[in-house]
Amino acid sequence: MIKFINVNKKFNKDSYVLKDINLEIEAGEVVVICGPSGAGKSTLVKTINKLEPIDDGEIIVDGFSIQDPKTNLTSLRAEIGVVFQHLNLYPHKSAIQNIMLAPMKVKKLSKKDAKDRACKLMERVGLMKKCDNFPNQLSGGEQQRVAIARSLAMEPKIMLFDEPTSALDPELTSEVLDVMVSLAQSGMTMVVVTHEIGFEYNVADRVVFMDKGEIVEVGRPPDIFVNPQHSRTKEFMSKILHIPVNNGNIDSVNGM
Amino acid sequence: MNLFEQFANWKFYILGAYPNGPLGGLFLNVSLAIVSIIIGLIIGIFFGLGRASCRRYIKYPSVLYIENIRSTPLLMIVFWFYFFLPVLGFHLPLFWSAVIPLSIYAGAYQAEIVRAGFLAVPRGQMDAALSTGMSRWQALLFVVMPQAFKMMVPSFVSFFNSQFKNTSVVYIIGIVELTQAGIIVSQRQPDRIYAAYICMALGFWIVCYTMSHFAQRLERKLGILDYESYKPEICREDLLLIPIPKAVKKVLISHK
Repeated sequence: MIKFINVNKKFNKDSYVLKDINLEIEAGEVVVICGPSGAGKSTLVKTINKLEPIDDGEIIVDGFSIQDPKTNLTSLRAEIGVVFQHLNLYPHKSAIQNIMLAPMKVKKLSKKDAKDRACKLMERVGLMKKCDNFPNQLSGGEQQRVAIARSLAMEPKIMLFDEPTSALDPELTSEVLDVMVSLAQSGMTMVVVTHEIGFEYNVADRVVFMDKGEIVEVGRPPDIFVNPQHSRTKEFMSKILHIPVNNGNIDSVNGM
Repeated sequence: MNLFEQFANWKFYILGAYPNGPLGGLFLNVSLAIVSIIIGLIIGIFFGLGRASCRRYIKYPSVLYIENIRSTPLLMIVFWFYFFLPVLGFHLPLFWSAVIPLSIYAGAYQAEIVRAGFLAVPRGQMDAALSTGMSRWQALLFVVMPQAFKMMVPSFVSFFNSQFKNTSVVYIIGIVELTQAGIIVSQRQPDRIYAAYICMALGFWIVCYTMSHFAQRLERKLGILDYESYKPEICREDLLLIPIPKAVKKVLISHK
């Protein structure tokens, strides 16, 4: 579904933002990208729909190369939903108008069809009663759920999440994660940047660990958490799991 | 000295010598302001967005225009067009040789207002719109522009106000607008000099005040002036944060 082939992105001559990325993501797979800040996780996600251009290499999404000038970028972007870290709802439109805008303008749906679709999506994210609220009347978690609904309104084949819960209060994250889990169960291809360990462990098919713009390690969640191969991964995992490193032995997370 | 006799020629201040001669007076100020603001707005949108462009061959000419015009007095620009264009072989009607410099002057200021408005919209809004499959034009038109416009309104109102008063400068090239009309009256009928200056002041005041009044209503309608959120418990110690002397406070509170 998504294929990175030798992707490089440079900040300037010598410092790489992304270095030699090779990764293939199958349809229906849920891939979590984790790593320390500045590792290039967000950049990697944004390169998939070319919000961040790359310097060389190739990214193939759903059979189309995004570098190819013949590819229709807007129609490709319509197939890729993105939920950002910052709460990016359009502040001048109500929740339901936020969802209706893109289907009406891009897919040329009639207002009634767009509204029907938006209502169903609002129900799916559990916000049926808040259709007419404006973003500043919604909590952070509710805003993020509307943002997910807004992306789903274009019926994407792929959903990208760029730290969707990191701007939220801890108790609001679960309502967003619930929506993401149900989305994963419905068979959506998802690429998620997150530090929510529970989500990574239970939902992800694969975890990609990145550091300094490079992919250090890729594996199933239990392998990455319990038995990381690379010393950098061990160090990071012990930090986010709050376990002191004892000669790399972190078997104690087995019971998670 | 009859008071009504003093103001008997009030029509001259409003319409000039019309219908026996050309239109003038306050009417001319208003039409000069409206025409120059509209032309200036078109120039302003073009150069304002141009200055924010990343393409150098668009950016630098825009900077050149804006900075040069802003660092030149309006009077100079008016003189330039009035005296210099005929030398080059262009002969403009008097009205247009006033409107063009006013528009060029307005364009530079409105360009800066437009640029500030667009830059104040967070970049994430554009990213969010693009990632739902909208083209750049659609994103600009439906997402960024409405928000930018809302932020520009207060600056535009204060600029419209000063632009309206700036139109009095063109009396220098012999246009009989309100200022010139007042001067003519005071010179031809010295006994009416007080009436003339009162009429001049009133004319400008009425138009500016009306404009500000309707602008405030528009701002409230757009939700820009959220007075309630600025109101501290005691309204007299508001955002100025200057302590009020006790003696003054006593008087104020006793009046309450």
